[in-house]
Amino acid sequence: MELREFNNQVHPSPDYPSPYSSQHSLRLRTGPTQDTSAVQFDWSSPPEDAEDSNEPQNLRELPLHMSLKRAVWQVQKMKVPVVSSSWNIKRSKTFHRFCEVAKYILSYFVLWNRGIQRIGGHFGGGVRSYFLFLRFLVILNFLSSLLIAAFVLIPSIVFRSMKFNSTIALTVNLNGTESCLHYDPKPDALMVFYTYFLDLVSGTGFMEYSYLFYGYYNNSKIESNGFSYNIPLAYLLTAAFYFLFCLICMIIRMGGTARLVVVTGGGAVGGYSMLVFTGWDHGLQGDRTTKLKQNNLRHRLQVDLEEERLKKKAASLTLGQTVSLYALRVFLNLVVLILIGAAFYGIAEATQFSQSRKTTGFVGLLLQYLPSMVITASNFVVPLLCDKIALLEKYSPSTTVILALLRAVFLRLVSLGVLLYTLWEQITCKGEINSGNCEPCSYYYDQYKCWETRVGQEMYKLTLFDFLITITTLILVEFPRRIVVDHCSCKLTQWVGRQEFLVAPNVLALVYSQTVVWTGALFCPLLPFINTIKFIFFFYCKKITLFQNCQPATRNFRSTTSNFFFLLVLLFGWMLSSVVLLYSVSKIHPSYGCGPFRIYPAMWEVVPEAVKMLSSSSKEFLFYIGSQKCSIPLFIFSCVLLCYVNVLTSVHGKSVALLRSQCKLEQRDKQFLVRQIEELNATMQNLHREPQQPLRETEPFYHTSPQWNQYNNYAFDPNEDPNPY
Amino acid sequence: MGNKQTIFTSQQLDAYQDCTYFTRKEILRRFHRYRDLAPQLVPLDYKNQPEVRLPYELIGSMPELKDNPFRQRIAEVFSEDGEGNMTLDDFLDMFSVLSEMAPRDLKAFYAFKIYDFNNDDFICKSDLEKTLNKLTRNELTEDEVRMVCEKVIDEADLDNDGRLSLEDFQNMIVRAPDFLSTFHIRI
Repeated sequence: MELREFNNQVHPSPDYPSPYSSQHSLRLRTGPTQDTSAVQFDWSSPPEDAEDSNEPQNLRELPLHMSLKRAVWQVQKMKVPVVSSSWNIKRSKTFHRFCEVAKYILSYFVLWNRGIQRIGGHFGGGVRSYFLFLRFLVILNFLSSLLIAAFVLIPSIVFRSMKFNSTIALTVNLNGTESCLHYDPKPDALMVFYTYFLDLVSGTGFMEYSYLFYGYYNNSKIESNGFSYNIPLAYLLTAAFYFLFCLICMIIRMGGTARLVVVTGGGAVGGYSMLVFTGWDHGLQGDRTTKLKQNNLRHRLQVDLEEERLKKKAASLTLGQTVSLYALRVFLNLVVLILIGAAFYGIAEATQFSQSRKTTGFVGLLLQYLPSMVITASNFVVPLLCDKIALLEKYSPSTTVILALLRAVFLRLVSLGVLLYTLWEQITCKGEINSGNCEPCSYYYDQYKCWETRVGQEMYKLTLFDFLITITTLILVEFPRRIVVDHCSCKLTQWVGRQEFLVAPNVLALVYSQTVVWTGALFCPLLPFINTIKFIFFFYCKKITLFQNCQPATRNFRSTTSNFFFLLVLLFGWMLSSVVLLYSVSKIHPSYGCGPFRIYPAMWEVVPEAVKMLSSSSKEFLFYIGSQKCSIPLFIFSCVLLCYVNVLTSVHGKSVALLRSQCKLEQRDKQFLVRQIEELNATMQNLHREPQQPLRETEPFYHTSPQWNQYNNYAFDPNEDPNPY
Repeated sequence: MGNKQTIFTSQQLDAYQDCTYFTRKEILRRFHRYRDLAPQLVPLDYKNQPEVRLPYELIGSMPELKDNPFRQRIAEVFSEDGEGNMTLDDFLDMFSVLSEMAPRDLKAFYAFKIYDFNNDDFICKSDLEKTLNKLTRNELTEDEVRMVCEKVIDEADLDNDGRLSLEDFQNMIVRAPDFLSTFHIRI
């Protein structure tokens, strides 16, 4: 570019105001004040040759006053004389109007759209992202329950009601395992209401032998009139497809948010300017909310400034102080790990204790819910203690927040993992299926006549307990707190203050519930459906508590990076439950007495058997895909694709950075030129004011007329020799 | 659609539809909101394009704007006379730019004008100080205000002239994904 070449030529001495070297300069410069208002827009004049469909869009985007826009519109309208094209224009206009109206109407059908917008208006982007995440989970669970209902539940109901003869082919060697076949959960016909309620809540009794749990499904293969339906195969493939479906939904959603994060360069750069110019939410209404928002912004700015100060202080610590600080941090991290380990131990003990006791009645119910209670208690107490410990660790505020989140995530997901591990230990006698209690049946038959149902029951109880606790907290803690704070004006209540809707713990609770559902879906097919209803309840309850009891948070969550973070944590939960799924499908022997897989040595075995029954060409095709000839090249190809996409991303990032620096450089060029002009003007005026100055000492330049403006003279050639004489 | 309204000619409604991001129904609704501010001043018949200008005090008393610390600047930027007295055109323009369908560049342009208190096409330090004070209700100390202004100019000023031009502002807005949702007033 000419400007840059020019810059390189004369740049070494920018403050050398020689009017002669600056003769190189200043072509193409129309004036020092740029048309700043029109640089970014290249439509300062309405496009005369625009497409008809672009006209409405362009007018709207013009940054002019409405009266000017309407004048332009009039002019454009008058420029349509030809009759044939006016029909085209009218048609495209009606089409656009129709699209707008359709979009407007469709926005009503998006679930809870208005409600979430209202929430965003009152409480900001962080809380809104929580409700958007909740809506995503509701839709995911709803679609999954439709999937499961269509392929597993409804066929089972239909076939059971039609009383087809189930073909249980007992071709397996039953040497010594006849005792494992006995499973009779059928409850007494007459029940006290009390036991009815207990059974409902703990998934035993009449609930156990129902469509809710794995044990009720038959391993029937229905074949009639050329129509065949293999229920075990359907069960397994539906579960597998359900997991894949959830993964694809999550990845699509993550892709959208990740793109935003990459484009905006992480969002951490430019924190102050971002806060000042985009921090104010103009949609806020109400005196109280605006005051709170102003407090919020002030708090954030002060926190950021404080962080700067801390960083400076940390950089100026002596060696001894740094060492002691790090030693303190290591020690406190150990303390946190010990706390978390203690929580895990408590969960394992509680699970073992509750699994091995079999008391009835209310005490039995409490015992059954013991693992859930311990998990909930640890999820409440341990983060609280970690917060207190974090105060001593003296990290910067943003690091503290991130660390607290990571610890909470770790605690929640791994405590679920500990529960599952303890169950596995009990069911498979610590993995030794040929020893002791697991002798004939390869699982602990005495306690677990139908172990899949038991696992399903545990997940069911966890889900119910979670729901119960949330509703109870709402009623017994949040509403009374608000009533007390509002009506009693003593110092203590004012210091405690109204409830704050903290986004992160709530989101982690959702992730935990969803992970429980994923883990339990294989063993309790109706669990996604129960979860859908639970989450719908959550939405309305949380919305009510938000508007009635809460004040906006003083510490804000940056919504774009946090959206990505929520989905990432959800992905971890998915991975945990897929590990459980894969292990139980391939390694543990299914129960002999119940369920659709009772004759197979592992649940997975139903697939090879079904493949064997396919026609030979499809068999060959499937074998070929699974063989090394095909899978290794496929794997290599996908690696290559991954590398390509990665390289593309980095190239785009680099070009964005390059363009940004080019922008900066051009601005500096502009500045430099403007300064040159001003200096030139000044020197010109000086020379004009002192006509006695002997011109012979300087180079004779014949452009003495003061009206001559270098920057208007386009004939000037920067390469021209300034000293022609 | 059956046009039973008698407030505008169909040509006027077409013009409004093309010049704003509103549908016909929304334009009529906005008109009624405008009229509700001063029913005795605003006629029900706009076919002759009457020159009706509502004073800033009425505009600033709308519930959507009443508590916004920038309401005066918003009204000044969108009004033709620059004092905050708005005609129906200005009113529709304002809410169209502040609606959720307006593109980011357009919003950034008007946001720049709003934050430019002295109307010199640059956001200088004094503009920033005024913005900060409005944002935090004058509760930051002088030192803190000065430090934040320095940091903002450090981060966003690309051409090193000590103030933000429109390009600097737009470059910064591109990297702010929340801008579209915060620069938005629902009416």
